[in-house]
Amino acid sequence: MKKKSKQLITLFVNGNEYEMALRPNRTLLEVLREDLRLTGTKEGCDDGVCGSCTVLMNGVPIRSCLCLAVEAQGKAITTIEGLAEGHRLHPVQQAFVDQGAIQCGYCSPGMILTAKALLDRNPQPTEGEIKESISGNFCRCTGYNKIVTAIQTAGRIVGGEK
Amino acid sequence: MDDLLYIGKSIPRKDGPIKATGRAQYTVDISLPGMLVGKVLRSPYPHARILHIDTSLAEKLPGVKAVVTAADSLQIKHGFVETPRYPADQYPMAVDTVRHVGEDIAGVAAVDEDTAEEALNLIRVEYEPLPAVFDPEEAMKPEAPEIHPNHPKVKDTYRNIGGKTETGWGDLEKALKESYLIREDKYYCQMRTHGYLEPQATVAHFDFSGKLNVWTSGMGVFLKRAKLAKTLGLPYSNVRVLKTYVGGAFGGKIDLFHHEYISALLSMKSHQPVKIVYSREEVFKASRHAQPLIVQIKTGVAKDGTILGQEIRTINDSGAYHGSGVVVIFLAWGFAMAPYRIPAMKYAGYSVYTNNLVRAPQRGHGAPKMRFAIESQFDMIAETLGIDPLEFRLRNAREPGELLPNGDSVKNFGLRDCLLKSAERTAFRDKYQAARTGRECDNKIKRGIGIGTTSYFGGSLIYPNSSTVIVRLNDDGSASLVTGALDIGQGCETVLSQIVAEELGIPIEEVQIYAADTETTPVDIGSWISGLTYVTGNAAKKAASQAMKKLLLVAAEELQADVKDLRTHRKEIFVTQAPNRRITYAQAIAASIAKNKGDSIIGEGHFRTMKDEPTHPSLATAKGRWSENYSNYATVAEVEVDTETGMIKILKATTAHDCGFPLNPNLVEGQIDGQVSMGQGHILSEELRVEEGCVINPSFLEYKMPSAMEMVETDYVDVITEKYEKDRHYNTKEVGEGYVSGTVAAVANAVYNATGLRLTRTPFSPDRVLEGLEQMGKKEKEEHG
Repeated sequence: MKKKSKQLITLFVNGNEYEMALRPNRTLLEVLREDLRLTGTKEGCDDGVCGSCTVLMNGVPIRSCLCLAVEAQGKAITTIEGLAEGHRLHPVQQAFVDQGAIQCGYCSPGMILTAKALLDRNPQPTEGEIKESISGNFCRCTGYNKIVTAIQTAGRIVGGEK
Repeated sequence: MDDLLYIGKSIPRKDGPIKATGRAQYTVDISLPGMLVGKVLRSPYPHARILHIDTSLAEKLPGVKAVVTAADSLQIKHGFVETPRYPADQYPMAVDTVRHVGEDIAGVAAVDEDTAEEALNLIRVEYEPLPAVFDPEEAMKPEAPEIHPNHPKVKDTYRNIGGKTETGWGDLEKALKESYLIREDKYYCQMRTHGYLEPQATVAHFDFSGKLNVWTSGMGVFLKRAKLAKTLGLPYSNVRVLKTYVGGAFGGKIDLFHHEYISALLSMKSHQPVKIVYSREEVFKASRHAQPLIVQIKTGVAKDGTILGQEIRTINDSGAYHGSGVVVIFLAWGFAMAPYRIPAMKYAGYSVYTNNLVRAPQRGHGAPKMRFAIESQFDMIAETLGIDPLEFRLRNAREPGELLPNGDSVKNFGLRDCLLKSAERTAFRDKYQAARTGRECDNKIKRGIGIGTTSYFGGSLIYPNSSTVIVRLNDDGSASLVTGALDIGQGCETVLSQIVAEELGIPIEEVQIYAADTETTPVDIGSWISGLTYVTGNAAKKAASQAMKKLLLVAAEELQADVKDLRTHRKEIFVTQAPNRRITYAQAIAASIAKNKGDSIIGEGHFRTMKDEPTHPSLATAKGRWSENYSNYATVAEVEVDTETGMIKILKATTAHDCGFPLNPNLVEGQIDGQVSMGQGHILSEELRVEEGCVINPSFLEYKMPSAMEMVETDYVDVITEKYEKDRHYNTKEVGEGYVSGTVAAVANAVYNATGLRLTRTPFSPDRVLEGLEQMGKKEKEEHG
């Protein structure tokens, strides 16, 4: 198999700058997990359906399995590891813990980042808006009920802080 | 239970923060120095003889470190069930014949994924295709191709019978003769899949001390160890299965999976760590899915709705090997007989080989299918008799203390209360009647309400049959909880910590758990068979209370008081009558070390169910005790059916559940919500489509699981039938599996209530609904026209 030559790119992940030589066919998901060892970002389907691999690119949720690493050049990437401040959980993370919105936890990183992006632009979303925003993130454990409650709870805290 | 500190409280899960921050390490996240990528070559044929395998080209490819086939293995079979009646029947890698598409032929380990993939393409396999059969009823016919010879003890004239459960009681012939009404129906349940988000994955590392270390996305470490040790010919001591976080399982990760075996074999050959992670397509096309089931029921009732007798026949398409097929035909009997009195019964369940994928349990393991079938028929019978569905169920529901045909007592059975409370909460009777009259109106959207019930066993005897827990007090009175239990998301680490904190009277933050490592933790029953909270929970309780007793004995000596006069508060022990005479836990532990030959206070607890039973009940005859505790559920579902599009929307699911008592209400609610969602997928949208033994919708795009847009509003009512008391064994019942069935059955009945359409095949997809409505319309026209 012929391998494509590597490209030199700069990634900004969780506020850190990484200079990397990468083959252009590698996805952002692979590079985050394998090269940067940020394994909080999960692979669930590799089809762009399940949402487990969601990260934020300039604050917008994207599926890192459908994004080539070279496309992330110069953009600000946030993964789940970049959300808590030291030991202090982000309000969305805290609400997920408190409300029982986490079971197996495999969908949680993608779900939490999607919720954070929603609350950043709309701190008081309706139940319908919440459901719509997380409709691309599968959860097989919770039936979504406690996730929706957690996002509403976090919204009240995020909204109150502003 | 008001004086309890932690039990009965919604304590947030202990592993919440580590999961919320993305720091929890799942099997897919593990990376070891020098780790190779493993891949599996699979059969493209549903049934074929293997004539020749040539791996020489693959072995020569630079970067390939090991290639294995059955020739490299000991060729020891394994099985989901391994009993004298049903011995192990499946090789971890095909030896001379393949019997389903995707059967494992060879494994390769290489330095990277591309090289491993390329190596697979270089392996040459010569097959001689054999005739295949995919439908279980076809496979039973005398002219069907033989996949395996019939089970030697099954004397039927059918072909491909891998197993049979046959049981009965009472005089069925007489019961049917005396019946006012006899109804016979046949129901079909589709093949679904678990939909766990973390794919099947293993990391195996055979180190230079001769020990195999395994991290795998499973449901319990001790069963994995037993099966790996057996098939690899290693002593148990040389196989270490370690804890990882597990990204969902739902029954689909119990047994030995071949990637576990193949990665181990590749590591043994290459002496490097090997990781195999299935792609999602591979999970769909080659892993185990849930049990499809055909259920035929004949029921005879008296005029007042009393059930007099029932004849049930189930046919399970077990796929190419036993898998859990010979178990589901046994369980189906149990899910039929437990909730309601059936004075006479004749039951026969057949597990039939086909050239389909092998099956695994999925949450409920047969219950959703059985209760869908039986509860659908109940409503039809009730309607014919002019009795409402609730009344019909109340008339036949078992009462506490009744004995089941196998000798189990339903000593604390809350089914009746579940029925009454769920109906009351939802105004069931009024809405049910209103919907029946509402059917006639012109509105294209019809609303309906339906009820479904289940009762479910827990903690039955199956390897390793018991749990042991160790509670170790530290010098300062904090505790280490050592258990073999593996938390797969249900929250057992949290619940076990609650129990230990409660018994010891210490803050829950001071209980640290060390779990699921076959080398350093004691044996555990596993996160299946719906028994962990009951079995391991009681072991934890015993261990903690033993440690507490030791602590109090030392304190009594130090305080010169009688043990029964001692009380504890905030890690201090004091004399009730003279609270100033007190000693801290830390002081008592130091005293124990000083005076009791260094005993730093360790408690040990063991637990198994049905201690007078040698083993599990007979899979052939269903004789023998099955469970000590039966949970109960009644579910009321409210639905909307769009008669123009065939779309069904579940508006609300209300459950009254008798799980004994909730140790952690928030976790109980989480289990119920998840099961409503899984039941929703079962009844409305999920179906694996298979052609010639090959799954043709192998992605989440084409296999439609519920998303947040379809989220069902849930409501819960507790029916409390047991309680927790300190320092005593407690009874609790499962809450993680049975409820799927209630949802499925309730929705089926609600759809009928809304439209008059009775579907007998799941899922109720829009095309089936529309076709059903059309046929119903035609029939009505014929009758009235």
